Amino acid sequence: MNTRYHSDPPRLCATLNLLALAGICVVLLFAFAWQLLYNEPPCPLCLLQRAAFALVGIGLLLNARFGPAPLHYGITILSALGGALVAGRQVALHIMPGDAGYGSPFLGLHFYTWALILFVAIIAYCGVMLTLERWLESPAATGAPGLPARIAMWLFLVLVAANMVSTLLECGFGACPDNPTHYLWLS
Amino acid sequence: MMLPFLTAAVSAWLGLRGRRKACLWVWLLTLIVFAAWCKVHMTDPLGLSF
Repeated sequence: MNTRYHSDPPRLCATLNLLALAGICVVLLFAFAWQLLYNEPPCPLCLLQRAAFALVGIGLLLNARFGPAPLHYGITILSALGGALVAGRQVALHIMPGDAGYGSPFLGLHFYTWALILFVAIIAYCGVMLTLERWLESPAATGAPGLPARIAMWLFLVLVAANMVSTLLECGFGACPDNPTHYLWLS
Repeated sequence: MMLPFLTAAVSAWLGLRGRRKACLWVWLLTLIVFAAWCKVHMTDPLGLSF
């Protein structure tokens, strides 16, 4: 850790929150890239996990825009709990021996398993940050967000909007099929 | 199924524009839509026994 951060707790917390938001952007971007490169339209539960990552991102975006606050961590935790519920359900659906799982694995684990790990990690992160900020008595940042924060926030917004368009192309305005193989509006 | 992404994008937009209260209300709306879709897609019984 940079020693400069020791004497500047708000900067440390802001940096960690910015990295967390950037991490959510990476998750959404990676899932989107995998979907397009390998032509694997996401299943309904996969889409719900992406929606939960978007909900998590809103809490982190509020931290980046207005400074860290327990309210922002609270909605991040609630969102991650929702995502963990969906990811856990999908893990349970494919947990039986002989079940090949849904979709291609990445580094030996399916995406819903990675999602479950990430949602639990996000909850732990919020716990650590709430404790850290209290311990460091870090006041909320009051200035305007810097350029990296603005880039991360806009990238997040673009990725959520791109997921909306992709879901619209895949499923139209209704529910998605359980095992999608093509895009409804592109066939 | 696109609705939670639409409302999440609106919520993020409101947050970016500095309208925190509106952002939080739309986040709540997104969570409700998310829960409704969970009810649609997560009600089949699992083939497990504990």
